[in-house]
Amino acid sequence: MTDLLQTVGTGTLIGLVYALLGLCVVVIFKASEAFNFAIGEFLVVGSFLFYIMFFDLNLPIFIALPLGLLAAGIVGALIEYLTIKPLLGRNPISMTMITLGLWFFMRACVQLIWGSDTYSFFLDLPDITLETEQFFFLSDPIWAGIFSILTFILVVFFLFRTRWGLAIRAVSEDQAKAMAFGINARFILMIIWAISSICIAVAGVMISNFGALAAGSGIVGLRAIPVVLIGGMDSIGGALVGGLIIGICESLAGAYIEPMGLIGFKDVAPYFVMLIVLFIRPYGLFGTVRIERV
Amino acid sequence: MKKSVLFGLCFVLVLFLAVPGAISAKEIKVLSQFPMSGIAGSLPEFGWGYIDGMNWVNSKEGGSGVNGKPIKWYLEDMRYSPTVEIANFNKYLAAHSKDEFLMATGYITGGLKPLIDKVNKEEKIPWLDGSYSTEIFGDEGGPTKFPYYYSLGGTYGNQLKLLMKWIKENDKGKGAPKVGLVYSPTAWGRDGIPEAKAYAKKLGLDVVSEIEYPYTATDATNECMTLRKAKAQYVIYHGYSGAGSYTASFFKTAKKILKEVQLMGTHYTSGRFPILVCQASYDGYVGVATRPFFDSVPRSKTPMDNPFVKFVHDFAKKYRPKEYVAHPMKPGGIKDIFLYVEGLSYALMIQKVLVEADNAGDLTREGVKKALDNLVWDFNGMFGGKTFSYKSHTIPMLRMYKAKVVMVDMDGKKVPTGGVYPISDWINTDEVKW
Repeated sequence: MTDLLQTVGTGTLIGLVYALLGLCVVVIFKASEAFNFAIGEFLVVGSFLFYIMFFDLNLPIFIALPLGLLAAGIVGALIEYLTIKPLLGRNPISMTMITLGLWFFMRACVQLIWGSDTYSFFLDLPDITLETEQFFFLSDPIWAGIFSILTFILVVFFLFRTRWGLAIRAVSEDQAKAMAFGINARFILMIIWAISSICIAVAGVMISNFGALAAGSGIVGLRAIPVVLIGGMDSIGGALVGGLIIGICESLAGAYIEPMGLIGFKDVAPYFVMLIVLFIRPYGLFGTVRIERV
Repeated sequence: MKKSVLFGLCFVLVLFLAVPGAISAKEIKVLSQFPMSGIAGSLPEFGWGYIDGMNWVNSKEGGSGVNGKPIKWYLEDMRYSPTVEIANFNKYLAAHSKDEFLMATGYITGGLKPLIDKVNKEEKIPWLDGSYSTEIFGDEGGPTKFPYYYSLGGTYGNQLKLLMKWIKENDKGKGAPKVGLVYSPTAWGRDGIPEAKAYAKKLGLDVVSEIEYPYTATDATNECMTLRKAKAQYVIYHGYSGAGSYTASFFKTAKKILKEVQLMGTHYTSGRFPILVCQASYDGYVGVATRPFFDSVPRSKTPMDNPFVKFVHDFAKKYRPKEYVAHPMKPGGIKDIFLYVEGLSYALMIQKVLVEADNAGDLTREGVKKALDNLVWDFNGMFGGKTFSYKSHTIPMLRMYKAKVVMVDMDGKKVPTGGVYPISDWINTDEVKW
């Protein structure tokens, strides 16, 4: 039982980071119905921007983190302005295709600027490791869980308790109607991309702190796909649940299924669960069921 | 008039004799491929070492090629992709004649396997490789099965067995030492594992856990907890690049969860790069390596007691002055001189065997193969003066190292210093009775 709790706990901490990644995809999808496939590259760029502030410029973390995240937000807004904005009003598929292109373009830019080297990444946050006779939770994943859930709550607060959030939700509901009510939908979309980029950067910094940062670190971003497909593409709560399911599922598979001989199952498990959920609920656990008349 | 006619006739005669000779003069061509980009990271050092090495061996100082005949060399980045490696090789085969294209080199097991028939049966071209594959170069493969394949290092099977042997000899606990194996879910990672397990059993070691830890893992908590539950005392980490973020993740986590455990590993996780990436968590690591690791952090503190080490540092300083002193973690610098040495080693080896073949009067693919098979060399002092022979088609020299890393304050930042230092003499695995 202790073992199970340890495994679920470890999975929950990672799951919170995945939930944050899922949230970043959901907010963009809700606003523009586009799926951001470049999430992994946004993660790498955001992490590198923080890296510059903290490791290169030697700024203290309480200055480096906001500055790094701000820079990530500006990059997100700029990318939206240059690539997504011209496609407003067109089929969301074209925006999704653009994000696929962005994936490769951003990867090439990252390699051009920072190379393919691995950069050591030690945040040296206060050690809050929980170690008892039965349990062992490392400090870095706990910090990752704390930062992720705090960011998640902040975004939810921003969306549901501020005027800007109201405008964002209005645009998410119906762009044309929101514009008719005098909301600058184009600007709102830019804000959404900026927020999404900031959240991805938070997740990126936390994940890099587990090991190191490299141009290839963006692969973790792909975990957002099962997260949002399980939770529902347009459900913020679904992103949280989906993230936790994926995190716990990975952890359980690693602890209980792999030792039975199914080596490598940990990597496959999230997609396996995703398929089961999609068979039963094609729009995800909390996704809006669409009824289209043809 | 007569003089002019005579002069003209002489000129025609000279042309008649000299031009066909010049046209038919055979060139000596070799192709080398290294993973300078791709999933293993950005490793231009391979190419720099090879380019500088080949230019040097062709120069007067380096022996003027092959007894005065220059070696025409080609270099390709195979991007850690077997497909690219094979395509490049085929391209060069099509473009150059058998008489001239005498040798080829590659760097990964994935490229060796699909080329078995082409290299060993159809083309019969000597092929040097950076792969230490047990399947290809071990007891099940080797010269009888793959006569034209040669490796520039000891097999992973032998590396893992040497680690097991070290555990057996150095374990001070009671009962059978408990060993955990962590390897990548790749042909590289799985290579040598069955041999290592069989040898562990023979030595009386208890392999308590076997984990495939993927390159795509977000963190390594689960893997380390599994090893902790299994009460592993020694963990062997195999089939990974020391430069990968997954390696940093594993070492950082293992150092906290597996506090009393001895972390160990094979060649590519031993060296300078893991010190830069994993920092203090790499301290105490015990590894086995096929080359002398001689690149301390900072580089200025590297011991120069080995003639080959001194040669390499002087060489890099001379031919890559900017890269040699560049910041190790910024693009454009030599991050770990081992990578530079790899390129340089290939150049030295290529020249050595081509010269031997030429001296034997048989500068053909078969002649080069004979030269390799008969080679007894100290590799310019690489193994502290010990020589090796290529009878197993591998350079069977291995050495154990231990990492010592100390974090020091520099400009208000904690930076790692230290290196990996030998804890054994060079061991010729062809002479070890396993």
